[in-house]
Amino acid sequence: WAKRGCSSSSPKLLSQLKSQANITGNTASLLEPYILHQNLNTLTLRAACTEHPVAFPSEDMLRQLSKPDFLSTVHATLGRVWHQLGAFRQQFPKIQDFPELERARQNIQGIRNNVYCMARLLHPPLEIPEPTQADSGTSRPTTTAPGIFQIKIDSCRFLWGYHRFMGSVGRVFEEWGDGSRRSRR
Amino acid sequence: QLVEPCGYIYPEFPVVQRGSNFTATCVLKEKCLQVYSVNATYIVWKTNHVAVPKEQVTVINRTASSVTFTDVVFQNVQLTCNILSFGQIEQNVYGITILSGYPPDIPTNLSCIVNEGKNMLCQLDPGRETYLETNYTLKSEWATEKFPDCRTKHGTSSCMMGYTPIYFVNIEVWVEAENALGNVSSEPINFDPVDKVKPSPPHNLSVTNSEELSSILKLAWVNSGLDSILRLKSDIQYRTKDASTWIQVPLEDTVSPRTSFTVQDLKPFTEYVFRIRSIKENGKGYWSDWSEEASGTTYEDRPSKAPSFWYKVNANHPQEYRSARLIWKTLPLSEANGKILDYEVVLTQSKSVSQTYTVNGTELIVNLTNNRYVASLAARNVVGKSPATVLTIPGSHFKASHPVVDLKAFPKDNLLWVEWTPPSKPVNKYILEWCVLSENSPCIPDWQQEDGTVNRTHLRGSLLESKCYLITVTPVFPGGPGSPESMKAYLKQAAPSKGPTVRTKKVGKNEAVLEWDHLPVDVQNGFIRNYSISYRTSVGKEMVVRVDSSHTEYTLSSLSSDTLYMVHMAAYTEEGGKDGPEFTFTTLKFAQGEIEAIVVPVCLAFLLTTLLGVLFCFNKRDLIKKHIWPNVPDPSKSHIAQWSPHTPPRHNFNSKDQMYSDANFTDVSVVEIEANNKKPCPDDLKSLDLFKKEKISTEGHSSGIGGSSCMSSSRPSISSSEENESAQSTASTVQYSTVVHSGYRHQVPSVQVFSRSESTQPLLDSEERPEDLQLVDSVDSGDEILPRQQYFKQSCSQPGASPDVSHFGRSSQVPSGSEEDFVRLKQQQVSDHISEPYGSEQRRLFQEGSVADALGTGTDGQIERFESVGMETAMDEDISKSYLPQTVRQGGYMPQ
Repeated sequence: WAKRGCSSSSPKLLSQLKSQANITGNTASLLEPYILHQNLNTLTLRAACTEHPVAFPSEDMLRQLSKPDFLSTVHATLGRVWHQLGAFRQQFPKIQDFPELERARQNIQGIRNNVYCMARLLHPPLEIPEPTQADSGTSRPTTTAPGIFQIKIDSCRFLWGYHRFMGSVGRVFEEWGDGSRRSRR
Repeated sequence: QLVEPCGYIYPEFPVVQRGSNFTATCVLKEKCLQVYSVNATYIVWKTNHVAVPKEQVTVINRTASSVTFTDVVFQNVQLTCNILSFGQIEQNVYGITILSGYPPDIPTNLSCIVNEGKNMLCQLDPGRETYLETNYTLKSEWATEKFPDCRTKHGTSSCMMGYTPIYFVNIEVWVEAENALGNVSSEPINFDPVDKVKPSPPHNLSVTNSEELSSILKLAWVNSGLDSILRLKSDIQYRTKDASTWIQVPLEDTVSPRTSFTVQDLKPFTEYVFRIRSIKENGKGYWSDWSEEASGTTYEDRPSKAPSFWYKVNANHPQEYRSARLIWKTLPLSEANGKILDYEVVLTQSKSVSQTYTVNGTELIVNLTNNRYVASLAARNVVGKSPATVLTIPGSHFKASHPVVDLKAFPKDNLLWVEWTPPSKPVNKYILEWCVLSENSPCIPDWQQEDGTVNRTHLRGSLLESKCYLITVTPVFPGGPGSPESMKAYLKQAAPSKGPTVRTKKVGKNEAVLEWDHLPVDVQNGFIRNYSISYRTSVGKEMVVRVDSSHTEYTLSSLSSDTLYMVHMAAYTEEGGKDGPEFTFTTLKFAQGEIEAIVVPVCLAFLLTTLLGVLFCFNKRDLIKKHIWPNVPDPSKSHIAQWSPHTPPRHNFNSKDQMYSDANFTDVSVVEIEANNKKPCPDDLKSLDLFKKEKISTEGHSSGIGGSSCMSSSRPSISSSEENESAQSTASTVQYSTVVHSGYRHQVPSVQVFSRSESTQPLLDSEERPEDLQLVDSVDSGDEILPRQQYFKQSCSQPGASPDVSHFGRSSQVPSGSEEDFVRLKQQQVSDHISEPYGSEQRRLFQEGSVADALGTGTDGQIERFESVGMETAMDEDISKSYLPQTVRQGGYMPQ
């Protein structure tokens, strides 16, 4: 059934991926609402969010990856993000208070679906690892229990990294379309 | 505890596809067979309490019986298995409900729509009705994820998905339909939800104008939230406030994503209403609903056109000036381009003399001299002045000319159109005026102005149907207005509201002249095309006559006389007719003059007959008198006249002697009769008349023979006064003589001897001349006059007397009518006698002879003449045909 929902058109898929990367790379889709919601809307705090981003694959690294590897990396990274955002739900007793979070998780799933489909279109198809139980979305236990503020800052940094990563992915996909770079394996 | 049934029906819950066969089996329990003494042959099948025909029932064995239904068409049926316990009592064993229907069709036309901010809604076409409970389940999934199913509600064909679709991810959706007879799946549809999205309508639409440009309005709005992830294009529409149709801004102009737009080419000072909607830039998906409408007004501009301008001159003022009413129309908003503050009117009598008026209204009344004026008008608003319209008001002695020709007015598309052919002269503009013609209200004209290039337009007023409009078109030339041309028209005609009232103008025996009045214009409701006159008798067939609308009377002919007719009229327009009141009249029994034509001739005939009778009686009065009132002389009063032939001096003929000194009148016999009071005998009267005339003709020289035996009175009037005197003087010495009467009336005179007598009693004729009685009897009555006439002729043939011609001529001068007729008749008889055998020559000879006898002879002649008189009797019949001179025969009398 997995193949059933994929688009049969590679350009269409690529277009969809670009659009998704543009949407999710925009901080307005998640980070800004989060900052507003968590009262982090100060220059200092904003700076704190962006100075030490959480480690995401860099754009250069992504560019150096072959398409399948790129797709595989994106798929895996977004799986990790999806789980992390699931852990963020704990910060919001009422999920309705921060609908952007859930929307972001759904979008991530959509990007992963399109990456999967894109990978299926490539020949030979690549193996996309299924999400493991560990990636079910619960947050990993930390060695030291940080304070709430630190959690907010960490979350902010994570979201910042996520948006930046998606921006990088989008730009990579842009390069796929214009043919300026030969397809890598 | 429920009672355990004696058997069961299998299958217990059957669902049968329509058109197929179905078999049910009833199996009885053994113990029931014994208890009720039955077996399978005692089973009775019933559907909805009606026994199933035995042909459909099959006994399988001792305990089982089956029933088969072929080509099932029923919908829901209760099937029961019953037994006849003890062979008589029917008991129900078991019952089932058979459902029938169809398996679901494959759903088609699956489509989904993603309303922004809402879950996805999908619709499908389930196909044929299944008549069974059927579930339609929408299934959706990604390549890596399944979404919750969506089950349609019963009776609906749409389903709202339980999740928000993710844009830019293809999703596959299909429908699974399932009921008791089967399940099917539709073809899946694979789509990106963003291509099925219906954005929320744009909001916060605002409209602002520009003082710099009165033809633009700026729009601004806020797009839906999709604007952040999608590129949306817009669709803008606008209209003027009062319009109902929207004007589309070209989509090419708004294809790029935007949140503002400037609409151009708008009319100044006009309020516009705008609305906007959006859709995904590539056109996929659905247009959003229209935004809320927003309105704005363009800025003012100076009036684009001059107002319509006209004038009316009232000439009822003193001669040195006239009152002119200048009128104009307010500019429509589309031409005013703003709020008109006032109007500027400039009146110029000559190039140097002009006067300016500022008017807030739409008319200006000024007094003008009889000279020519030029008036100009301009409207002003806050931005500026309109172009001026110029109107020439000619002098009072100006003669208009050059009217439009072929003026027509006709309704079309619920408008009243006017069309004309322009005059040969170039026209500046046309003025159209119209008003409702009515006898109850005055003609209050409305008007409008058309350009000089226009020759067809419609009246832009509030016109009413069924009203007669008098439309006038006046061409306006540079030098002044031309001659107006008018005509009548209706926006929409209708049947007259009243019919004409007919009456009779004249009624005859077989015809009647009907007349009526033209309908008032207020009730005509249209142009009267014709009238119809319907008339009938009380029993006859109705006759209908069509009459041209120009007529006001009509003659019904070929009517029956003395008959009651009922007549009514109807007036027709092109939309129908209306009957007038009925009128009755009765034709005459007789035509005019018919009675007179009968009565008058009858009366005339009667009168003529009477007159003829009277004339006849008058003509024959003697005969009648003789037969009815015979004249019986009274002997006691008779006397003998005195005869004195030889004593002329005694008769005092002096005057005659003087007059006729040469003539010998001594032989004239005079009979004098004493007058008495008796009426004269008619014969005597006649002779007396003739004698009188003769006497007149001879100027009194004739003798006065008046005596008659029937004359009982003296007749002194016959003679002259001298004669009367002599007669009276001799009355005392009357001489009896032979009565002359008998001598000239058809009797042969005998020689008479006159004797003197003192008696005044006249002798009876028979007494005097008994022998004459025979002669009298033998003489024809028709000839009785002739001898007398002859006698007078002889008597009158005297020298110096007038000839016969004069005698006849004088006869015609008798004044009395009766006497004249009578004399004329006698003369005619005489003339006839003269003209018969001998003619005029003989008459002349006769007359000449008579005259010669009378003048040329003395006493002898006298004798001869009297002899001729005496021949009268003997030649009675001959005399009547001849007047030849006669001689006195032997035996005639001569005066003694």
